[in-house]
Amino acid sequence: MNASAVALSILLFPAAGALLLAGRGWRMPRVVTQIVGPGVVWLSFAATLWLFFNQVNGDFAYWTWIKSGSFELPFNLLVDNLSIFMCMVITGVGGLIVTYSVGYMAHEDGPSYARFFTYMDVFIFSMLLLVLAGNFVFLIIGWALVGLSSYFLIGFWYQRRSAVLAARKAFVMNVIGDVGMILGTFVLFVTYHAVTYAGVFSHLTSLASVGDSAPLELAAFLLLVGAVAKSAQIPLHTWLPDAMEGPTPVSALIHAATMVTAGVYLVARMHPIYDITTYAHDAVAIIGAVTALFAATIAIVQTDIKRVLAYSTMSQIGYMFLAVGIGAYAAGLFHLLAHGFFKALLFMAAGNVIHAMHDEQDMRKYGGLWNQMRPTSVTFLIGCLSLVGVIPFVGFFSKEQILGAAFSRPGSLGLTVWAIGFATALITGFYTGRMWWLSFWGKPSPQRPVEHPHEAPMVMMIPVAILAVLATVGGVIQTSVLGFGPSAVSSYLDKVVTAAWWEAGRFPGGYTREFLVAIALLTMVLAAALFAGALRMRPWSAVVPWAQRLLERKYYFDEIYNAAFVRTMDAVASIGYRDVEKVVIDGAVVGTGEAAEATAGSLRLTQSGYFRNYVLVFIAGALIAAALLLVRTS
Amino acid sequence: MAIAVFIVFGLLAILGGFGVITFRQPIRSVLSLVVVMLSLSVLFLLLSAQFVFVVQIIVYAGAVMVLFLFVIALLGPARVTPRSRLRFQTGLSALFALAFFGLLYAMLQGVQYRQPDHTDLNVFGTVQSIAVGLFTTYLYPFELTSVLLLVAAIGAIYLSRRDES
Amino acid sequence: MAGSLDIGGSQFDVSWFLLLAAALFTLGAVGVLVRRNPLIILISIELMLNAVNLTLVAFSRQLENLEGQLFALMTMTVAAAEAVVGLAILVDIFRVRDLEDIDDLSELKG
Repeated sequence: MNASAVALSILLFPAAGALLLAGRGWRMPRVVTQIVGPGVVWLSFAATLWLFFNQVNGDFAYWTWIKSGSFELPFNLLVDNLSIFMCMVITGVGGLIVTYSVGYMAHEDGPSYARFFTYMDVFIFSMLLLVLAGNFVFLIIGWALVGLSSYFLIGFWYQRRSAVLAARKAFVMNVIGDVGMILGTFVLFVTYHAVTYAGVFSHLTSLASVGDSAPLELAAFLLLVGAVAKSAQIPLHTWLPDAMEGPTPVSALIHAATMVTAGVYLVARMHPIYDITTYAHDAVAIIGAVTALFAATIAIVQTDIKRVLAYSTMSQIGYMFLAVGIGAYAAGLFHLLAHGFFKALLFMAAGNVIHAMHDEQDMRKYGGLWNQMRPTSVTFLIGCLSLVGVIPFVGFFSKEQILGAAFSRPGSLGLTVWAIGFATALITGFYTGRMWWLSFWGKPSPQRPVEHPHEAPMVMMIPVAILAVLATVGGVIQTSVLGFGPSAVSSYLDKVVTAAWWEAGRFPGGYTREFLVAIALLTMVLAAALFAGALRMRPWSAVVPWAQRLLERKYYFDEIYNAAFVRTMDAVASIGYRDVEKVVIDGAVVGTGEAAEATAGSLRLTQSGYFRNYVLVFIAGALIAAALLLVRTS
Repeated sequence: MAIAVFIVFGLLAILGGFGVITFRQPIRSVLSLVVVMLSLSVLFLLLSAQFVFVVQIIVYAGAVMVLFLFVIALLGPARVTPRSRLRFQTGLSALFALAFFGLLYAMLQGVQYRQPDHTDLNVFGTVQSIAVGLFTTYLYPFELTSVLLLVAAIGAIYLSRRDES
Repeated sequence: MAGSLDIGGSQFDVSWFLLLAAALFTLGAVGVLVRRNPLIILISIELMLNAVNLTLVAFSRQLENLEGQLFALMTMTVAAAEAVVGLAILVDIFRVRDLEDIDDLSELKG
């Protein structure tokens, strides 16, 4: 088995699965869909593991797609540690989620069921293409396909108007990102006349080798637009909360583990560019930090459990952007892995709850689930603790690594983003705790739709359990953060991305990390007090109503965008329709027809029907001919 | 003498022409046309066209006009008709006709005639010379004309069939 | 002068015949334009055809070329055929409706 064939098979498995299910899936018995849908993802996972254990590293070209003059565009896959890492996350976590959705989507009828897994396989394929592509063109193709699959999956229950609108919103914002990516590729192509990674990066070996970095900065900013759109960072973030209209497995896969992490992958892959362009690189970190804080504050007031998790995702990805933005690529990618574990876990456990509650997602109507759905509650708790960053869960190690790198980075940027990140960690504890206490503790809410919720079936419980285990023990691969033990992820990734160029990971005095843990736990307890009722306090919506409103309205981003862009486009469109389309274009087209009709109508009157009139015209014609003859010959 | 013949029969032709377009009854119109045809045949004779003269009398005046007479007999006399619907028709027609004649007259002034071919005028227009022309050089048009007559005859028979109902 | 003919000892000019033919032709044209009885119209057409025949024969004599007379014979044949068909159509129409005025046949107006 040669490596290039295995690498290609990673893409071919989900593609084949998607084609099979799209073509025949709804006709075959349901068990075929249940096997093919997740099965192809696991096959890809196996192929990825093969590449991992054989330490494959190479740029495999399969065929030349465009050959025009001196420009050649091959279809090539770049298999290195970074892409294998991402593939493992995608196929591993993705495989668990697709397996989970076999049970979650069981209520769908035959064709819908096959359609769901078709879309999931298409998504997996697109995401794999994105991370495996060896040149910008296929990166963009994968990028766009991921956006498309996301549209399909968010709008899966297309009979719901809100789902369709959310899917549309996600797609439009993703397209904005696509445009940025394409323009960035154009800039790079114009500057370096290459579109393969190898071709472009070979020009960027050192800061000195690049004379004028202005086009590079421009390209970096444009690519950043794409990353920001896909990863739902400010200002292109408004689609992510609405995307929760999709089924819960979709939220888990796309909006926790994979699609939204594409932006982080992009910055890591383009690290030769970002290492040189300081402005764009700093922008990445600042955007990440601000988004992290911003999203965390909004999560405090959300009542829908999936929305809390959505804003939490936004916030955590902010952390990843923060990390890759300051140059700690490995730290950011480790958090990507950790986040994949615990966020998918949280979504899927929440999915169990939603499933048991007959699709009720309002947390205020839960309460007391700890006693009635013990396994799900335990796994959800593990996810929460991991999110907050409590030892020994994996979230602690990854968050710790990021904040440590930020703190000890020379320069003011590091310290600033550290402070923001620290504050965000506290707020994270608060909203996570609120989510936990409201949903699982206390007395069952009187508005509960189901009195005795049943636990999830095995096919849904096992992936959740696996992720819980991973979230618990995953930290061991990077315990170097604590000052001892392996740093498997860092050493694995540092081969392909720039290692942090400063001594990272050590807080001054070494106590602050424990401090962080304690603080975070404290905020969870605080949340308990407020929401589990031990402390009687006036809700702050009464104290500072404007703040409550500000947060509930998500800082009015949607309203601003609506007024600035949507209304403007609507106005332009209606002017275009009323004044251009109807008057000019329709006028020209219809007008031509009407002119022809009018002419014909007036000419028609010469056909009086009277024979003698016609003869008169004859004679008149003969007269004219005779007169002409006379003039000619005289 | 020849000029006198020309003047007499020329005038007769013109009078006949007026008769054709003036009489209200078709039968009188047809008879005027017969007068015109006979006058013209004499003029043909004057122009050394003996064969055409004979054919004009036998075929044209004798057969075609008889056909017209039969149809008129079939259709009956003309009845009273109201005023014409086309108001300007008469005036415009007179105008055009006059203009037309004027133009033809103007054309004839200063026209350059080609030199004649100098054939033997004794055999010009005789049956023999016409036959020679018709059956040698102009055989093809001759045959086509007979086909044309056949077509007209078949057409006429078909058109005057009664419906099989 | 090229237009002069010597007929029976007297000197004619071919233009006399041509003018006569032109006059007859004009009369026929007026008949077609002014009269409303379809039969009269057909007869007027025949008058026009006769005038053309006269022109042909006159030129034939002037040019001393037999083609004019042959053409006149052909014209006569065609005129006969056309009269036959025209009358057949007229008879056909008369079977269906009482046609006095050709202006009644105006169904093909635009």
